[in-house]
Amino acid sequence: MALTGRAALLAALGTLPVGIWEPGWTGILAVNGPLALACACDFALAAPVRRLGLTRSGDTSVRLGESVDVTLTVTNPSGRPLRARVRDAWPPSSWEPGTEKAASRHGLTVPPGERRRLTTRLRPTRRGDRQADRVTIRSYGPLGLFARQGTHKVPWTVRVLPPFTSRKHLPSKLARLRELDGRTSVLTRGEGTEFDSLRDYVPGDDTRSIDWRATARQSTVAVRTWRPERDRHILLVLDTGRTSAGRVGDAPRLDAAMDAALLLAALASRAGDRVDLLAYDRRVRALVQGRAAREVLPSLVNAMSTLEPELVETDARGLAATALRSAPRSSLIVLLTTLDAAPVEEGLLPVLSQLTQRHSVLLASVADPHIAGMATARGDTDAVYEAAAAAQAQTERTRTAEQLRRRGVTVVDATPSELAPALADAYLALKAAGRL
Amino acid sequence: MTIEAPPASTSASPTTRQVWTRARGVLLAVVLLLVGAVVIAVVRSDAHHGRLDPRSADPYGSRAVAALLADRGVSTRVVTTLAEARDTAGSDTTLLIAVPDQLTSRQQRLVHEAMEGSGGRTVLVTPTASVRTLAPGISPDPAVAFASTLEPDCALPAARRAGTADTGGVRYVANAAGADICYPSDGLPTLVRLPAASGGGDTVVLGSPDILYNNRLDEEGNASLALQLLGSRPHVVWYLPSFSDPSATDSGRKSFFDLLPSGWLWGTLQLFVAAALAALWRARRLGPLVPEKLPVAIRASEAVEGRARLYRKANARDRAATALRSATRARLAPLVGVPLAQAHTPEVLLPALSAHLHGDGPSLHSLLFGPPPGDDAALISLADQLDALESEVRRP
Repeated sequence: MALTGRAALLAALGTLPVGIWEPGWTGILAVNGPLALACACDFALAAPVRRLGLTRSGDTSVRLGESVDVTLTVTNPSGRPLRARVRDAWPPSSWEPGTEKAASRHGLTVPPGERRRLTTRLRPTRRGDRQADRVTIRSYGPLGLFARQGTHKVPWTVRVLPPFTSRKHLPSKLARLRELDGRTSVLTRGEGTEFDSLRDYVPGDDTRSIDWRATARQSTVAVRTWRPERDRHILLVLDTGRTSAGRVGDAPRLDAAMDAALLLAALASRAGDRVDLLAYDRRVRALVQGRAAREVLPSLVNAMSTLEPELVETDARGLAATALRSAPRSSLIVLLTTLDAAPVEEGLLPVLSQLTQRHSVLLASVADPHIAGMATARGDTDAVYEAAAAAQAQTERTRTAEQLRRRGVTVVDATPSELAPALADAYLALKAAGRL
Repeated sequence: MTIEAPPASTSASPTTRQVWTRARGVLLAVVLLLVGAVVIAVVRSDAHHGRLDPRSADPYGSRAVAALLADRGVSTRVVTTLAEARDTAGSDTTLLIAVPDQLTSRQQRLVHEAMEGSGGRTVLVTPTASVRTLAPGISPDPAVAFASTLEPDCALPAARRAGTADTGGVRYVANAAGADICYPSDGLPTLVRLPAASGGGDTVVLGSPDILYNNRLDEEGNASLALQLLGSRPHVVWYLPSFSDPSATDSGRKSFFDLLPSGWLWGTLQLFVAAALAALWRARRLGPLVPEKLPVAIRASEAVEGRARLYRKANARDRAATALRSATRARLAPLVGVPLAQAHTPEVLLPALSAHLHGDGPSLHSLLFGPPPGDDAALISLADQLDALESEVRRP
């Protein structure tokens, strides 16, 4: 049940007859009695809400930053026309702040025995699953004085996937990969590279790569070409512990790490490598293994969409053990974690040797541009102390990275916008050097 | 458009039956509470209900007196407003004011004016503060009488005939000339008869209401005294002051609301109705709020900012200067061709820097390896000098 503004307005207009012609209880009764009667009629004549039939259809997934339409079909089985306001309620983060009211409310008219469709456009602001809440319907009577109100539960879930903004770097990195593919040995020839084919010598080729045996069989000088190794195993390890919760700019570190991991996965699956994903803090949060190259990216995106940083210290020992179990043969383990001194020294360094023994390890960390900005702050006392603290933090970070490098780990430390291309470059460099 | 069979109802609103099932327990509790409250109120109701009311047969009512008066041809009329009490004033009337203290000072004045020259009798039952206005010349004593039963001890014929009576209560000091003072307790009377200045009327002040109560009428000389005091005129007007009397709130001036046309008041009432409807309209939400688990919002740089504030609080200029210097040294070393491992060794870094800059050996040493600055200004200038040095080195 719900009153409308029209009923309140009529009651307010009733002040004039009460005040001018009939001051007294008679006047009050003469105005409010018919009004109450009209409200009662309106209530009786409004289409019943409970008997409405509601079904949903529409999209079930969307990339963060894009919009998605979910359709609600309202069937009116009663003999009375439905004039209603409908609120299709979703969690607040399903819309940009401030637009949720306009986006979730709809006016609706359904003639008796027919059905109509409503489209709610969501534009989520965070990753994860968005589940539809209640649908509240306010059905007005013919006079618009009184309404019936009721709610329906029509479940629907929209999965919000990571935005993968770094996919804009993919074409240039793929071009670089093609350069590696079928390059001549003029470019550095790694130990692990595989023989690809023979072709004619062109001036500028490394004379060491001339295949004399083939040259003897032909009339021209032939050189060997190489292609990078294929079918290598790459394990992406996302650290979802407390250090991934810190916000750099407007998004947690985890989101930047995911973006970089997705670019690397896209690149590696095109390069013919097998990509697995492990998300871990004190237990396995997500595990994607053994997908075909075509399915890798969708399944990674799906697994990442519901990952959230947990406010617990990462169990490095468990992480290493799980990673070793998931990476059976010599593979590239990409750790997306932090370079903060304490967690690395306490957690990662003691177990690192287990990983580096059989695998190549690449560690990528999200640097905070705000700290770089603080390091250059000058002018007053506060600014200089901030600069000193930032310089101290940067020094510690460099020292930690140096410690890791000495143990044979490749370290990538970059700001969120640069991390994805930097990680892809590191991967390409390892591939070119045949160190996978 | 054809309608296929509707799916199972998605409605989440409670049905009327569910509402009733949920609410009936509460309703039952409320009804029980109300019934219990009424029963307790009735059982424990005050026995003083209808006190000094000539229509009341309660122990503290006065129906017996009224009945005895009626037997003797004296009529009793109950009034509750000042206007009625004033209208009945006359030489053939006895006006009994049951609770004089309940009258406002303006009402007391009006009653006194009406009765003063009328020639009638006024009986005041246990007045305290009001006695000064209603019977000028008499004032109450703060100490009440100990004994309730007293001897008349005066020349008033009524009192002499009645003998001892339960008049012990408030005691009065009578300064007026010609006043009969009776039933003294410790020298001060509990019954005073004060003749009016003109018209032959008088005022009787009673220190205790006991002689009028139903349950005390048959004791001592109570009935005799009451009948003689009230039966001197053919009519008794029994005035029970009430709070609903308009003259009680009337201060003699017209208030703002008296000047308003009544239409305004009723119009405003209707406006309140409209406001209540508008409140109901705005209060009804279109569905409840949707809860959502929010992610934590911690800035990644918080630890560094906290360290900066700690430095500031502790005035850790030495640590701040060391951090700034070592950061600058680490940046300068690759620029002048010194390996990073040796960047913090003055013997290696300084000569290379001097060679790059052509001079300034000692000042470079104090800038990059010197003692910590003495105050904040020195720290700021140190930071600026380190910046200047770095840009000097970077300049091609």
